[in-house]
Amino acid sequence: MPAIRNKIEKWFEKFSLNIFRFRWATILITLVIVGVFVSWIPKITFDTSNESFLHENSPVLKDYNAFRDQFGRDDLIIIAIKSTNVFSLGFLEKLKNFHDNLRDDVPHIEEITSMINARSTRGENDALIVGDLLENWPENQEQLEIIKKRVMGNPLYLNRLISENAQFTSLVLKTETYSNTTALDDPLAGFDESQAPADQNQFLSDEEISETVYHVKKIVEKYRDNNFEIYTAGPPVVSSTLKRLMIKDQNLFMRMIVLTIAIGLFVMFRRISAVVLPMIVVVCALVSTLGLMAIFKVPLKMPTVVLPSFILAVGIADSIHILTLYYRDLAIGGDKKQAIQTAMGHSGLAVVLTTLTTAAGLASFGISKVAPIAELGIFAAVGVTLSLIFTLILLPALLAVTPAKALKSSRTSSGKSRFDRILKWIGTFSTRNATAITITCILLLMLSIAAVSRLSFTHDVLKWLPETEPVRISTETIDNALKGSVAMEIIVDTGRVNGLYDIHTLNTLEQLAREIENIRQGDLFVGKASSVVDILKEIHQALNENRSEYYVVPSDPALIPQELLLFENSGSDDLEDVVDSQFQKARFTIKVPWLDAVKYVALIQDLSARFDRAFGKDINVSMTGMMTIMFSTVVSAIYSAAQSYVIAGLVITIMVILLIGSLKIGLLAMFPNMLAILFVMGLVAVFNWPFDMFTMLIGSIAIGLCVDNTIHFMHNFRRYYRKTGNVGKAVEETLLTTGRALFISTVVLSIGFFIYAFASMKNLFYFGLLTGMTIALALVANFFLTPALLALVARFSNLFPREVSND
Amino acid sequence: MINKRIQRILTLVIGLMITAGGLGLFPAEGWADDPKARTIMEKVDARDDGDHQTADMEMILIDKNGKKRKRKISSYSKYKAEDKQRLMFFLEPADVKDSGFLTYDYDNPDKDDDQWLYLPALRKTKRIASSDKSGSFMGSDLTYADMASRDLDDYDFTMKKEMDVKGHAVWLIESIPRSKAVIKETGYTKSVLFVRQDNYFVIRAVHWVKDGGYLKYVDVKTLKQIDGIWIGTEMHITKKKGKKIAHKTELSWKNVRFNQNLDDDLFSVRRLEKGL
Repeated sequence: MPAIRNKIEKWFEKFSLNIFRFRWATILITLVIVGVFVSWIPKITFDTSNESFLHENSPVLKDYNAFRDQFGRDDLIIIAIKSTNVFSLGFLEKLKNFHDNLRDDVPHIEEITSMINARSTRGENDALIVGDLLENWPENQEQLEIIKKRVMGNPLYLNRLISENAQFTSLVLKTETYSNTTALDDPLAGFDESQAPADQNQFLSDEEISETVYHVKKIVEKYRDNNFEIYTAGPPVVSSTLKRLMIKDQNLFMRMIVLTIAIGLFVMFRRISAVVLPMIVVVCALVSTLGLMAIFKVPLKMPTVVLPSFILAVGIADSIHILTLYYRDLAIGGDKKQAIQTAMGHSGLAVVLTTLTTAAGLASFGISKVAPIAELGIFAAVGVTLSLIFTLILLPALLAVTPAKALKSSRTSSGKSRFDRILKWIGTFSTRNATAITITCILLLMLSIAAVSRLSFTHDVLKWLPETEPVRISTETIDNALKGSVAMEIIVDTGRVNGLYDIHTLNTLEQLAREIENIRQGDLFVGKASSVVDILKEIHQALNENRSEYYVVPSDPALIPQELLLFENSGSDDLEDVVDSQFQKARFTIKVPWLDAVKYVALIQDLSARFDRAFGKDINVSMTGMMTIMFSTVVSAIYSAAQSYVIAGLVITIMVILLIGSLKIGLLAMFPNMLAILFVMGLVAVFNWPFDMFTMLIGSIAIGLCVDNTIHFMHNFRRYYRKTGNVGKAVEETLLTTGRALFISTVVLSIGFFIYAFASMKNLFYFGLLTGMTIALALVANFFLTPALLALVARFSNLFPREVSND
Repeated sequence: MINKRIQRILTLVIGLMITAGGLGLFPAEGWADDPKARTIMEKVDARDDGDHQTADMEMILIDKNGKKRKRKISSYSKYKAEDKQRLMFFLEPADVKDSGFLTYDYDNPDKDDDQWLYLPALRKTKRIASSDKSGSFMGSDLTYADMASRDLDDYDFTMKKEMDVKGHAVWLIESIPRSKAVIKETGYTKSVLFVRQDNYFVIRAVHWVKDGGYLKYVDVKTLKQIDGIWIGTEMHITKKKGKKIAHKTELSWKNVRFNQNLDDDLFSVRRLEKGL
């Protein structure tokens, strides 16, 4: 092993000499390559939709897209207005203006429904009237009363357009399904009946949704008033809010991490070049990674917002190690060439190894079924690897062309030795009290494991927003007032044309709707269940003088196709929303409040069971819709988290064992890091902090990072132990040499995560705080527990098998 | 006291504007009506479209996924003075057979059209009240507005150009509603009509649909002269959004006959309930 290690170190030295020789060419070529990547960056897109959490080839997403191709988008924007006198001329006038304004000025809207144009189907004497509710504008109190009675008496309006206490009325906006990128240049040429190929149908883009929400908000502001309180909610509003905050946070973090790194570097090295050069290196790595994302058409999503600051914080550590040795060598009196050679030779291997472990930890969630997590894993791994490459190639070249004088030792001897005294004390304390420390840590480990077993997953994108964010308040208000703001969709496929004319099927749908509307599970309730049956009942009642006993499925099956034909002739195209043109598939919509996706587990199982019982094998029932997407995300996330933890844990442990060269020491080395991670996870369980897809990442990320400290520690410990044969002495030497570098890089790294505490998004807050804590605790564990364990084990066996060493 | 220089400039500018206007450099839409276009439309309106007509109509409804539904209807129509009466019975599909529709399309714009329907399973006739004609006819892309005659006073007409459609010269005439009420009535904010120069038949039309931003393409595929009357026996109506087809209707008429001596009694509720 030492022979190989020697060989590698020699290779790094030679490599660095070549870089030195061709320093200008290296810099130029690197910058050109980086330039290519940067040119792609403007093409980066964002995607904060719920669908973005699933992979493109996920069966759940495919079902959802097929559903949207047939019935349009189900993520409606709901605008609720609170007023004490909804049924007054003044209010209705204002509502009409509001409605018209939204209809005329908001882009990408396919349909907008409110009391103004709600479908009103009724019989009057011998006439059947199907028209807009407020077609004939009321002119006096009497007419207003009639309207009020009609509205409050219509089950289809209740809890959709009007609340049960008549204090809230809503406007529902349905966005266009597809992106209208292909407008005809010459409309008159449209007589060509060829169809645009189906795969050109792109769903409405993130950009377009943001545009829509922006215009809605602008108009809402114009109409907001006392007694006309407006609440705006719905998945499009949530996703565009997430995007806005995401971009804001990302910009903030980038600035803060750059500042932190700059300060850290300056404190450590006291020269400007030591700040500028490493920054150039990590920034090159970062922009190259972003460019790669653009090239592979991977949009930036919520989880990937942590990517830039992550790459910067992690990437900088490599430079720190190289620079430490470089400046030390310069100070001793070496020239630049010599110093670069020494630094690369001694640190090159270690830096490669630590990057590999970090990348392995990140890549382990590349297999996640949650698309943005997988993307984060892969591109974070790519980013740190690029950072390594640039550190080994670009940094030496930049150092070679930068003038550098050895600085007088500006650190006061007292400052230096005070820190050294602390490090020395740590070494002594930990090796002297090895048993006590070890036993304490084992107890902590057991407590942590016990706490961790109580962790329960959560996924509620709305809760990522600050409590004061308007869409969060609006969603909660609308969920209460109108009994829900999001939907679950069930597609009932009869399997044959006109299958929905079957009276038994229709009655079953009706029965299911009544049952389902009574479901209540804690704070989860069903606000409304509707399908084509509602339209049929409406017509049947209207054809029978509005008598309420006729608000049922017609008992004569022959009436069904005829009444539906009648409806089609009425001018309303509402049937398209609830059945396909062949009357084969029906859409059953269940309105629910926006809750943690985990709470829907029981509901989904319940619904599945009910439909299976009701329809049996002849009819195919499938669940889709926004809530199903969110639920699927939860299931994927939990499954993938478990998977990636196991993989990361295994892979990294194996790597560490190989790198250290001893199974015993390798396992020993993992203990402090595992303890730190489990301890923090235990805190999450005890304090009931959210364990969601972000906090779940902590373990996988932290393992890769914490292990870096261990590797550097062991790398040096082995050298000193072989020289002195004494654990205590070896620990002391290790701490005095690498301790400072470890400390500074850990500080920079954990601050890099602590700055997320300033995030406006709450998920980032917890993620940053907890990851920072983990990294800091891991350092403490590495400083105290590792020496203690080594001291303990050394009493019973050889730490390292005898090797022929050339050190 | 305006500066003499500025006065001169102003005069020059105004003079230029008048000249430009006279030379037709201003967009046609700026002017209210084109007499040539209006004359053509008057001839279109005056064209004899036959009376006492019977026909068998087949309607194929095609959705955005290409799925089809077929309907067969037997239709009768007759003018009573300027008002048009229509009676239709469904022949196919079987589950709506013998459903009947009776329509009185009044020439007087202030009078709403009357429509009755009869559902055999209901054994009752219901009058359908609708204040506008923008509603779809039997679920197709044809609307009642499409079937009704236009009141020329409701529109401004401008001549766009002349061109060739399938070997026949046509005028392209743009028709813009003069009031919001007309837009509400028909559902169209604008139309372009392709009028055959030889027989004043509207062979094609493009309508800008208000709700939803669609474009509707009406294309008469087959034009025949039966008993001296020009009539479209095959018509395709396509509703498009950009390049995407949202829905399509294919209509064809067979056994078209005129001057069938239809009685006014045929166009009654009683007859509707009695059936064919």
